[in-house]
Amino acid sequence: MEEIKDTFLHPVVPLDFQNNYRVGAYLQRYLDGFKEKKILGAKCSQCGRVVVPPRKYCGACNLVMEEFTELPQEGTLENFTVGHVNLEKGQWKRADAPYVIGMVRLDGAANAMLARLNVSPADARAGMKVKAVWKDQVEGEHADLDCFEPA
Amino acid sequence: MEKKVAIAGFRIAAAPDLETTRERLVFDLSKGLLDDLGITRDAVDNFVFCSNDFMDGRTISHVFIGPAAGGYMKDQTKVEMDGLNAMIYASMGIISGQYDVTMVVALSLTGSQASPYLYTDYSLDPTYDRQLKLLNELSAAALEARSYLTAGGYPEELLDVVAAQDLKNAAANPGQARRIDGVSRERIKGSPYYYEPLRELHCYPPTDGGCAMLLVSEKKAKELTDKPVWLLGMGRSTDIYYLGDRDLSTSLSAAQAAERAYAMAGIKDPASELDLAEIMSLFAHQEPLLAEAMGLLEKGKAAAAYEAGDTAVEGRMPINPSGGPLGAHPICATGLIRAAEAARQLRGEAGENQVKKAGVALAHGQDGVCAQQSAVVILGT
Ligand SMILES: [Zn+2]
Repeated sequence: MEEIKDTFLHPVVPLDFQNNYRVGAYLQRYLDGFKEKKILGAKCSQCGRVVVPPRKYCGACNLVMEEFTELPQEGTLENFTVGHVNLEKGQWKRADAPYVIGMVRLDGAANAMLARLNVSPADARAGMKVKAVWKDQVEGEHADLDCFEPA
Repeated sequence: MEKKVAIAGFRIAAAPDLETTRERLVFDLSKGLLDDLGITRDAVDNFVFCSNDFMDGRTISHVFIGPAAGGYMKDQTKVEMDGLNAMIYASMGIISGQYDVTMVVALSLTGSQASPYLYTDYSLDPTYDRQLKLLNELSAAALEARSYLTAGGYPEELLDVVAAQDLKNAAANPGQARRIDGVSRERIKGSPYYYEPLRELHCYPPTDGGCAMLLVSEKKAKELTDKPVWLLGMGRSTDIYYLGDRDLSTSLSAAQAAERAYAMAGIKDPASELDLAEIMSLFAHQEPLLAEAMGLLEKGKAAAAYEAGDTAVEGRMPINPSGGPLGAHPICATGLIRAAEAARQLRGEAGENQVKKAGVALAHGQDGVCAQQSAVVILGT
């Protein structure tokens, strides 16, 4: 029998569901705060922890957090990694230059947030103080909070 | 726990590209397993599948693979996490008395036909992490690696030591996809960074593969096999979703899942009572991290244990004698393969990688970013 050559087919009907997500009241408040270059967290009335971005329930106390509170724009870089690749749609490509992303804990926050750092890989240190850098034009979008840089 | 569920047999397949279809892979694994045991699909009364709709590119993907496994006109369900969860779920059906013989099949073609990294991308919060585009499977693992190394006071070179041991074991295991002859620490250290400190050879290889396992009741075990491997304990746990809320230097999910499995199996001192462990470490640092969390290695002493050879095939606490997921990671199947590789050891069929005294073994599976969810089973002869 003649050898059959395998082919890969891409589906004619691709898997391209357009999912739309409501962000919910808590993340909406957070993004609205960006319009004034403010970072809002949610505070638990029982344990006093502030989580950012704000979410409705305190995981530790299993209580609804009703108070929104503004956090300082400075914090600590707790942990970081130097990226040498970028992932796009599940494929990685070598980055043009190494870059730093890391976990920033804002002063007074109970949790850390992942952010881009405007610092050279050689200068990044766990424990360094950092501050938020905003885009000049803010629109109430995630991208408004551009990155953090050494304070 | 009483001996109520046994592994009667299993089949594993893994390669960078199996040059097959999902249906053909499932057929080959399950028909091969039935042939090994000298039975037909008529002897099986329940089928449990583990696959992922995104990886398969179609919804309710098991409706296509069910028939290929011989599961038509039978009870069929699907678990869409790691395959060790499918094994636990299938075992419960037997413990409850509802079934005597259950076929578990887990697979994905994430070497040749779908990107493995999409699996994690689609699990991220669409209104936050997927908007920021900073978090992905590799960047999360790198942060976890840094956190673990810092907390334990370990040098980055620990990753090379762990990967060298795993890749050496993988090279001697015909069931693995990444088999590199004579891989050295230098070669591992020379592989390019993805996200520091993780280099290419510290990370799992995209893999095509799957695993079929036949689980049976005590009554059926006597009929079907001379070498039953018994399920002695099982446990599961799910940690917090938010990465920034978690302590990435350890694994709460693995610690709790193991604690529950040990309690069920009556194990008090895992480091001395277990003869080997098959751990679903997708990145080099996860192997000592998870081993410490599950009480197999002393916290802060992992580097010394690896250097002393304690974790090698001939060591005191062999970890991933199969080579582990640095040799193959077919998403959905990897945790089930850990249980199958542990069973292979307990049956004394592990060839070059056989651990001398293998009576009780642990298998670990994980799902989610940085092992957010863990499953643990204890197996024994
Ligand atoms: Zn609270």
